[in-house]
Amino acid sequence: MSQTITIDPVTRLEGHGKITIHLNEAGDVEAAHFHVTQVRGFEKFAEGRPFYEMPSLMARICGICPVSHLIASAKACEAIMSVRIPHAAAQLRRMLNLAQMVQSHALSFFYLASPDLLLGMESDPKTRNIFGVAAAAPEMGRAGVALRRFGQSMIEVLANKRIHPGWVVPGGVTEPLSSAKRDQILAMIPEAYANVSLALGAYKKVADQFKTEIEVFANFPSNYMSLINEDESIEFTDGDLRLIEAGGKTIEDGMTASRFIEVIGEAVEPYSYTKFPYYKPLGYPAGSYRVGPLARLNIVQHMGTPKADKELAEFKQLAAGPVASSFHYHHARLIEMLYGVEKIEQILADPKILDKHVRATAGVNRLEGAGQAEAPRGVLHHHYNVDENGKITRVNLVIATGQNNKAMNDGVFQVARHYVKDGKFTEGILNRVEAVVRAFDPCLSCSTHAYGRMPLSIELLAPDGTTLDKLRAG
Amino acid sequence: MKPTLILACGNTLRGDDGVAWHIGSALQNMPQDELTAAGVEVILTPQLLPEHAEPLSSANTAVFLDCSAIDQPGIVSTRALQPAQSLPCIFTHHLDPASLLKLTLELYGRIPLRSAAITVGGNCFELQEQLSEPVRAAIPIAIQAVRSAVFASHAC
Repeated sequence: MSQTITIDPVTRLEGHGKITIHLNEAGDVEAAHFHVTQVRGFEKFAEGRPFYEMPSLMARICGICPVSHLIASAKACEAIMSVRIPHAAAQLRRMLNLAQMVQSHALSFFYLASPDLLLGMESDPKTRNIFGVAAAAPEMGRAGVALRRFGQSMIEVLANKRIHPGWVVPGGVTEPLSSAKRDQILAMIPEAYANVSLALGAYKKVADQFKTEIEVFANFPSNYMSLINEDESIEFTDGDLRLIEAGGKTIEDGMTASRFIEVIGEAVEPYSYTKFPYYKPLGYPAGSYRVGPLARLNIVQHMGTPKADKELAEFKQLAAGPVASSFHYHHARLIEMLYGVEKIEQILADPKILDKHVRATAGVNRLEGAGQAEAPRGVLHHHYNVDENGKITRVNLVIATGQNNKAMNDGVFQVARHYVKDGKFTEGILNRVEAVVRAFDPCLSCSTHAYGRMPLSIELLAPDGTTLDKLRAG
Repeated sequence: MKPTLILACGNTLRGDDGVAWHIGSALQNMPQDELTAAGVEVILTPQLLPEHAEPLSSANTAVFLDCSAIDQPGIVSTRALQPAQSLPCIFTHHLDPASLLKLTLELYGRIPLRSAAITVGGNCFELQEQLSEPVRAAIPIAIQAVRSAVFASHAC
């Protein structure tokens, strides 16, 4: 008799969803789906609001990456205003986005992923969590806490609030950086370097123990998309998008936010509230692509900072072309954290960062605007239409997690098919099914722009739909 | 780090659930007196987080302020806290004070000499920023409870 396994909720994720694994009569995996079960709503209830309220409203989509929403939203508003923001404002936003990336990646790596990486996929589930890491490797726990503090404190210093700051506004930022605040941030940099180095060293020591996981964790050819600078270096806040194919060849380059609207479609699958974006010229699902740390590192030629460049060179040795295994998202995340700290230090070394001119002003000059920025999990796109009074008439958000949706689903199937045989599975196997999703660090609240509880679940279903087993946690 | 750390936890958009923030804000804005002179840091937070372990590890006294959905509305309760013996097997979006103390001990090898939880019974948890009357009236009592907890620890 065929079966279905349900993991509900999937744990150690940002958001609420479940996984179902369908077994055939022989007990082998026939299909597997990652379901995002929250309901989206932000696109609808923003209608009718003045466009200049959008950054603050949209930031409420997420408590982990509100800064990316602030920035993408402000950029969409600036397209409506037809303004170019002052250089200092652009650099301040860049630092804010990097600070958020560091704290978000620290949460993903230390709190959510490190229990699997440091304690093992098969370790006792009762201690396979941040508490277990604290007991087994307290220095890693302390490093995670410190890097979270680094990013959050920096956001607070710059924007006066850790979560949902109102500092980023259409036209720039509300307040310039003082020399005292600059020095306060600079004083935090050495400890941040030490903690990222510790994490990179620890990861490299254990990575070889996960050869099988590397082989089957969403390890397949795909397209990749990310922002990139003209000099081929990594970019989180400005720049245009590049889409590459599995072999590394560029499919489309210089993709502006307005071009993104034209070429990216959103497919819908019946099992998830999160959409499945794809590159229209290739159709769905061939036009699906991965975003986030792995995509960014696969696309760029260099990071633009010396320490991160050295790490990138090592990372690129993992494959002849783009690195395909999603297990390596963890490694890419650590390199990006190192880059973030270095880039912040570089930006602060430029005296122009203290420039007092940090905001441009204008009214409605266009009835449509789009903006994009890299969130920790990948590129984030906001697209608004307004009436002549600046009231929002339509909103469309394309979220990083949605853009990884196809790869996460295919990854769940790949892992389940590899490990579940003859209908037999263990807790450690189901943990790997969850862990492949964790590698992408999805933010399900962002992807559905939802309000609600967060945990996730796994289901094992028979061919007739009968639930044979179910894991639920959170 | 100040000798006393007050972690005020709750959601100000959920009616009485935000009472700890009201108490914490009152403590932050209090004119200089013997309590503030004793060295108090107040952290207002929607929830307890692993990163709170760091400031906890260097405080001598910790006070966890929260709303109680179990106690009668407006009733202020104080109880001593010890680190949890065992830790929750799942951490997603919830951490209780005893588990946070245990995590602090594991990470930093040190916890406050004395920790207390002070709760105020809540009445209304709907989407609103106002406190219900019995809960609002309990704020001065809760501040007095904080004062007692801090000075009791100083007497130890």
